[in-house]
Amino acid sequence: MAVADLVKTFTFYEILVGMKATMTVFIQRIILRNRKAVTLQYPHEKRDLPGTYRGMIALLKYDDGTEKCVGCDLCEAACPSRVITVISAEVEGEPMKRYAKEYYMDMTRCLFCGLCVDACPVDALAMTKEYEWARYNKRDLRLDKPQLLALGDRNFPEREKKLEFQHPNVAYFNIGHKNLPSKVS
Amino acid sequence: MEMLVFAGAATAKIAIVMVTVLITVAVLTLAERKILSWMQDRMGPMEVGPYGILQPIADGIKLFFKEDIIPAGANWLLFSLAPILSLVPAFIGFAVIPYGPNQEIELFGVTIKPFIITDINIGILYILAFASIGAYGVILGGWASNNKYSLLGGLRAAAQVISYELNVGLAIIGVLILSGSLSMVTIAEKQAGGFWHWNLFGGLQIISFVVYVISSVAETNRLPFDLPEADSELVAGWMTEYSGMRFAFFFMAEYANMILVSCIASVLFLGGYNAPYPGTLLPEHLAWVEGIAWFTVKVYFFLFLFFWIRATLPRLRYDQLMRFGWKVMLPLALANIVVTSIVVYVLR
Repeated sequence: MAVADLVKTFTFYEILVGMKATMTVFIQRIILRNRKAVTLQYPHEKRDLPGTYRGMIALLKYDDGTEKCVGCDLCEAACPSRVITVISAEVEGEPMKRYAKEYYMDMTRCLFCGLCVDACPVDALAMTKEYEWARYNKRDLRLDKPQLLALGDRNFPEREKKLEFQHPNVAYFNIGHKNLPSKVS
Repeated sequence: MEMLVFAGAATAKIAIVMVTVLITVAVLTLAERKILSWMQDRMGPMEVGPYGILQPIADGIKLFFKEDIIPAGANWLLFSLAPILSLVPAFIGFAVIPYGPNQEIELFGVTIKPFIITDINIGILYILAFASIGAYGVILGGWASNNKYSLLGGLRAAAQVISYELNVGLAIIGVLILSGSLSMVTIAEKQAGGFWHWNLFGGLQIISFVVYVISSVAETNRLPFDLPEADSELVAGWMTEYSGMRFAFFFMAEYANMILVSCIASVLFLGGYNAPYPGTLLPEHLAWVEGIAWFTVKVYFFLFLFFWIRATLPRLRYDQLMRFGWKVMLPLALANIVVTSIVVYVLR
């Protein structure tokens, strides 16, 4: 046993095993060509993101172009990092309806947990697959309502119908409940 | 007139060798990154040119136009001197390497050896002497930067280069005993006539060959012996404060040293320009082509070995490096000298 170990030490056996491993990969890569690089050429090639990917958050619109958000502030309450600021107001001439007059998201603090998306009673918020949002000025990451709506328009070209047309059998003020029947598209 | 022709021919030879070495350095920077990435399931540089083949040019332009920073607390003179002190010895060693057969041509009545710049009768000693001066560049650069990481890198380089240069010197003594000469040209000539005449196989200098290869990896500060540079511990070791062309000088010196030790290894152990079979395949007047081709193949084999080892092995710890150098390599090299001397004495 000791002799075998000595022989292994003097012939650099372990090192040769390692060099064989690297050479095997090299030959497979260059001569046999049956091995591919595991890396991607990032700006040119991009990963396929899973459907549940949580990227930048967007505000959505209905198919007639009106905003979904009703200014209820639940997202602001749900947010653990105080990313969201909603300034709610009445719709002009319609005292029963409210909307978000101003809506800010400070994405520098966002941890992309998705609680605001869960909290929204009217599905006005959604998570996109956008992630290339490096900016030279961090104030550029404090998004206002037009920017968030633009994000939604860009990533979700198919818009939903208004609530009263989605669920004909459900009164639309109950829509926020989680155990909904699946939406009629 | 004769003097002029002689000087002109020498200048031409020097210029060709310098340009070849510089081009090889540029090729090596790309080859290293590509070979490493192929061995590690990556792609390496892919952006500049097709498959990144123009990357060395882009790197060169970038380094040339970068700001040349001298730190406020640095010793200006030594800081500027260190890269030059590192680069010049790396290039100067190429003067005594035989690149091809030791044949002569007549040019305007002057005898010129076209494949040998100069045949100093102490060629190998000359290379070792200048390699030692190259270590000063590293040490002074580390000290003059006024940076603790640079200083640590410089100190490590000092200890490492000195202890491993000793092993290089002792490893080649076996070859010198067999050849009976310090001239690189004579050593190469004595190994002509097939691979069983090479010092590695015919002279049975296997131990000294292994000791030489390992020590030369350590001497050029390459992985797994890159402790003076040690990216993960010392930022970039003695090069931490260097930028622009000064950094490029260190970089070129490292690669030129790699080429130089590969040239020495192929001349001393693998017969230099001699083919592994007796005689030549090509006709007599084209034998030099074959010689240079074999020399190139051998040198590139060693360069590939450098990259291969780098792709395989992690960095040694400092005490392991020192123990390996002094307690393993040095006794082996000494034992090789004793055994070779006895065998040569008995057989001759």
